[in-house]
Amino acid sequence: MDNNKNIEQVSKIKTIGIPTQEEIKQAQIDFSPRCTSAGRVNDKETQKMVEYIMNFARKHSLFVLAYGTGCGAIEIPATMTSRYDAERFGMRGAATPRQADVLLITGYLSTKTLKRVIRVYEQMQDPKYVIAFGSCTINGGMYFDSYNTINALDRYLPVDVYIAGCMPRPESVINGIVKLQGLIQNGNAGGGKCYKDNLDWYRENQQKVIKNWDFPDDYNW
Amino acid sequence: MEGILFKIFGAFITALLAFTVGMLFGGLRRKVIARAQNRVGPPVYQNFLDLLKLQSKTTNIAHGFMGHMAPVWIIIAAMTTLMFIPVLQGDLWFENLTMKGDLIFLLYMMVFGNLGMALGAGQSGNPNSVLGVSRGLSQLVGFEIPYFLAITALMLQFQTTTIAEFLNIQAETGVWIVLQNPFAFIAAVLASLGMFMYAPFNIVGAPAELASGPRAEFGGKYLGTMMTGGAVFAFIKLVLMVDLFLGGAGNNNLEGIAGTAVGLLELLLKTFLFYMIPVFVAIVSPRYRTEQAIRFFWKWPTFFGILAIVWALYKNGTFN
Amino acid sequence: MSKLKKENKILDKLKNVFDITGEIKYKKRVSIKADKKNVSSILLFLKNQKGYIHLNHISCVDWIEENKFELIYIVWNPNNKLTVLVHTRIDRENPVMENIDTIWDQANTYEREFREMYGIEFPGLVGRKEFILEDWDNIPPMRRDFDSQKYALENFATRPGREDAQDVREAIQKRSGEELPDFAKKYSRD
Repeated sequence: MDNNKNIEQVSKIKTIGIPTQEEIKQAQIDFSPRCTSAGRVNDKETQKMVEYIMNFARKHSLFVLAYGTGCGAIEIPATMTSRYDAERFGMRGAATPRQADVLLITGYLSTKTLKRVIRVYEQMQDPKYVIAFGSCTINGGMYFDSYNTINALDRYLPVDVYIAGCMPRPESVINGIVKLQGLIQNGNAGGGKCYKDNLDWYRENQQKVIKNWDFPDDYNW
Repeated sequence: MEGILFKIFGAFITALLAFTVGMLFGGLRRKVIARAQNRVGPPVYQNFLDLLKLQSKTTNIAHGFMGHMAPVWIIIAAMTTLMFIPVLQGDLWFENLTMKGDLIFLLYMMVFGNLGMALGAGQSGNPNSVLGVSRGLSQLVGFEIPYFLAITALMLQFQTTTIAEFLNIQAETGVWIVLQNPFAFIAAVLASLGMFMYAPFNIVGAPAELASGPRAEFGGKYLGTMMTGGAVFAFIKLVLMVDLFLGGAGNNNLEGIAGTAVGLLELLLKTFLFYMIPVFVAIVSPRYRTEQAIRFFWKWPTFFGILAIVWALYKNGTFN
Repeated sequence: MSKLKKENKILDKLKNVFDITGEIKYKKRVSIKADKKNVSSILLFLKNQKGYIHLNHISCVDWIEENKFELIYIVWNPNNKLTVLVHTRIDRENPVMENIDTIWDQANTYEREFREMYGIEFPGLVGRKEFILEDWDNIPPMRRDFDSQKYALENFATRPGREDAQDVREAIQKRSGEELPDFAKKYSRD
């Protein structure tokens, strides 16, 4: 290939800049969040006393599995220790997905990491919730044009609460936790149920990104 | 006939008391640690909420027969051990079963729960669990030696192996065993740091290293049952130490329900004060490695244990 | 030039021994351009004879207009604190470069990264083909003819922005009445 041809080729490529509106519209294929009101755990009308008490216990005892991706992992120690003290809400770190209730995803997810996160999420026991942290999980954030990070987490996992910010400060994290507590008390935090109901849709999206799909059928190992 | 009914009723009440106090002390521990770190901390009843939530979780995994049995085994071990501890001296409900030589029986029974845990963790197949079990057994070898030395010193000094006898001796002489054989108390306290498995001896369930060790594959109801067993075991260890060294509780002249109430208050106070020793050590300590922990237990606690035996033989009159 | 005595000394020495061109960038930094086949002998010479025992970094630049990849080996001498940059250009169509992880072990990491990110082959390089990426099936992503944004739009769906999201430049322009400079108009949204 001679040099002139290469220069022509390069000039066609737009390496820097904002995508045009048409390009973005083409990319917004079937972007409808699946879990808005469909994932209710229990209806208000049929809410029993037992369920009320259980929800009370659930919301005040959140075992958090912090999946420390990206820069958000540094906000978690600040949130948990003396200054902001998330333990007063009953939050507590869980070491393994078996014991955890909340999966806290703290930043961008590369496709390589997404595979591990999905496995972690599927090993958790119901009822389980996902808190997505930072603008990277909402729309890609500053990694919107990266070749290796996903842009919107809720196409691959059901997200109960988003915490916006880059990075969100510990106050915002606590705000998100309180929001999740409210959802749990009302019986609206049904991400796990939603995931089961729409598993085909989620699997389709996941397999689009994760090319070498070698997941186990069940997690009894 | 009436006696048996009282015993059965007393067993239920004792189990309830052990569960409540154990869980409450766990919550108090978290609160104390939080206050020491200048935090607000969780409420005192946080452990009850945790338990309720864990019991409300679903389980869709199975790790074989021993995986199911491990928490049950721990509860069985805890309850059996509890039944042989005289919680209040001479009380109709809280004295429970006493027999000759129950101290030796207890020493073996307290390892039984760990054994169930080890088997369950082994069947789950998680490498972290297996590592945690091997660490736990190493630590057991570490702290059992000073602990056994301390208990043996008491047995030698007072020529008995019955816990109720120790209580009677302290009530008759009016002097607690902590003053009669201080070296045994020191050895037992140092060993109890390892028994409670808080920092610096939390090498078994180190969350950042081993992903909570033997519990790694247990969640939900299994974890809740294990928490209950752990709380009861904490109560057992505390009451045993109070019975053996700090004069026990319930030795008062009041009659009926008032005597029981005063005795319970005394028990709570003594156990709480003793419980604060490992908790305060845990607040200011990082984590030991396994060989460091064993080296610690085999150095000073063992030295004090041997000293306690020499002291016991001296008091006993063997050297005369 | 008397101040740059050490720099001149090493540059002259290299020019005498090898067929290179070079210059002194600034104090304590010497940059030389060498042929592809000379690079390993230059690096060996610098390491064994001249005490440049530390490999700081290996960098790669894609000169797509000239159809070349440029590899830059940065070595450092802890005694006189001099840094030497060895530039070399290799063919972009069939990029093969000599493997130098026998000289410095840590070069292995850089070379595996270049193999994955630029597609440069290093004969005899040890290690798995997959290094940072997983299941990559496109052209190597750090090449300039790979359009990262297009790839992201095709594979990872984007979320529509807020209705009231404003272009910062236009908003400032409206507020202050300033004229947009020409270079900024290129990136305008409309």
